[in-house]
Amino acid sequence: MSDQALSAPWRLPLPHSTGGRVLVAIRLAAVLALVGAAATTPGFFTTVSLFSLLNTMSFIGCVAVGMTFITLSGNIMSFALSVTLSTSGIIFIAALPLGLAGAMIAALAFGAALTGVQGAVIGYFRANPIIVSMAALALITGGATLITQGHGVYPQGNATAPLQGRVFGVPMPLFAFIVTVIAAQIVLSFTRFGRQLYMVGSNWRAALAAGLEPARIVLGAYIAAGLCTALAGILMAGRYSSGDMELGIGYDYHAISAVLVGGTAISGGEGSAIRSLIGAFIIAVCQVLLLLHGFSTQVQYLAIGIIVLVVIMLQTLADEA
Amino acid sequence: MRSLIVNRSVRPYLLLVAIIVALWLLDAGRGRFFTAATAFSVLQEFATIGPIALGLGLSMIIREFDLSVGGMMSFAGCIAVLSGARYPELGVLLAVLFGVLWGLFQGTVMVWLRLGSIGVTLGGLLTLGGLAYVVTGNLSISYPRMDVAMAVNQPVLQLLSPRSIITLAAFLAAAFFMARTRIGRDLYATGSDRRAAMVAGVRTDVILPGVFACSGALAGLGGSLLSYSLAAASGAALTDALVPAVAAAIIGGVSLAGGKGTPIGIIGGVLVLGLLSAGLNAIGTPPAVQDVVTGGVLFLVAIADAVDLDPRLFTIRRYWSDMFLRRDLDKSGQAPAE
Repeated sequence: MSDQALSAPWRLPLPHSTGGRVLVAIRLAAVLALVGAAATTPGFFTTVSLFSLLNTMSFIGCVAVGMTFITLSGNIMSFALSVTLSTSGIIFIAALPLGLAGAMIAALAFGAALTGVQGAVIGYFRANPIIVSMAALALITGGATLITQGHGVYPQGNATAPLQGRVFGVPMPLFAFIVTVIAAQIVLSFTRFGRQLYMVGSNWRAALAAGLEPARIVLGAYIAAGLCTALAGILMAGRYSSGDMELGIGYDYHAISAVLVGGTAISGGEGSAIRSLIGAFIIAVCQVLLLLHGFSTQVQYLAIGIIVLVVIMLQTLADEA
Repeated sequence: MRSLIVNRSVRPYLLLVAIIVALWLLDAGRGRFFTAATAFSVLQEFATIGPIALGLGLSMIIREFDLSVGGMMSFAGCIAVLSGARYPELGVLLAVLFGVLWGLFQGTVMVWLRLGSIGVTLGGLLTLGGLAYVVTGNLSISYPRMDVAMAVNQPVLQLLSPRSIITLAAFLAAAFFMARTRIGRDLYATGSDRRAAMVAGVRTDVILPGVFACSGALAGLGGSLLSYSLAAASGAALTDALVPAVAAAIIGGVSLAGGKGTPIGIIGGVLVLGLLSAGLNAIGTPPAVQDVVTGGVLFLVAIADAVDLDPRLFTIRRYWSDMFLRRDLDKSGQAPAE
């Protein structure tokens, strides 16, 4: 409590535990090291490499923001966001005859429905989220392959051209990603749903005892995840002018990596959309750095894996009371 | 009868019989299904999924979850293919050894840093997947010893192969340890109630790394044998093996709440999946149907094992009975009681 008396209004919001402070120091050091590495790498601060960096980051970032809702709600991760991304992209391309807006609404509704069903089962029955998402992965993969016969779908003419353009000089995917992050952060910080989501994620029973309806909030989190993922699907389908099951491969892992590297707790209840943005950015910077230093894509996978492992191990510092 | 259905180790075998009957009916007497070839491919599938399903199942019995088995399987395959060109046994040995060490590392991290297994093994999965990509250079690397590839798949007694015999042996050893030794009892105790187990003197801090070491070893064994039999290894097998393994363990009666399930039950779960894939293949359905069926079964089992299933069912049932009560009251001309 003496701590409290000493605190001035301008005091930095440092964590109270030693472990938490060590963690902040490690994070700062890591970011500084990254900045240093970027500054000393020739060719990093060129427009081409920066824009390619930001573009790749946008797709992963949208899914990561969606994953953030799931992780925050205490349900760890979903293995089915990759196929949700692919199938929403397919729906978007297939629905393009309805017009661009109609196709986008169809794809978003489809993505939200796919994850919503999982969210309902996980929320209302409290089924295991990992198993449900794996079941959804198998079901959606199988179902989509049966329906599309494994072929991709392609748009007529250049109906997706608006998605390849720029808004205020910013490429469309990046613009959509930033809007998504801002919207998600507003929902998380300033709406009742957002605050309740944090409570359900940190302690389900306490939330129940406080009179919340955890099941409904979990359902909402999954629907939000589906919307973000479907948006990524639309952007990717627009960018590549095609929709097929290959679009989303690996995106579950990229997204959860971004979420965890950003510092969102895997146990739920702590984190934010902004953190996932930072996580996606850090991963993208690492990728570009490795690329510019002549390392292959494979080394990037390994580097991300090790970073995630280390970040998870460091998480214990934050939990120390 | 009811006790048989409720028994978690018997359930997969009942399902197995049901699937055999269903496939036999679907086949409609054309004799494509009841062949030695189908049985052989079921057992080959058993050898592929079995080891990782067993490892994952053991981790679920102590109420943890080893996601890293998928990455371990592909990386172990790479180790075996790269190091086993001259002495195939050496390749398997190194793969299993690496699995043990990695499992010990993960388990120790969990105990020391008091971390959840899903987080740590997710990091493990990504790291091992990355390692497999680096080692293979993102290509499929081939194994030069065709004779070994033939030998591990050589039919024995028409149905078995060295691969499936080794897998079966691993399962039987696990079943013996789980049922007949103190280690098995300790595992179940750890999974049912960790704190009570600790109070009762179970060394849960030793059990945890031990189980993850077993799981890593089994994934290493399965991955190296699979790569030998395909005469190739590649990095791209992360969730491909993970989902069937989880499905097999869960269908085999392993509970997500821990403390329940047996290796014999897991054999049943793996056989169910193998039978679905080989049987549907034999009667000529596209492989995607198998995905749908696996996903559907997994979905149902997830709901059946859900924590809040009973209260929700109770609410639904009460709602229904209220509705009928109101209707009956309306019919009899009385006002429904408020």
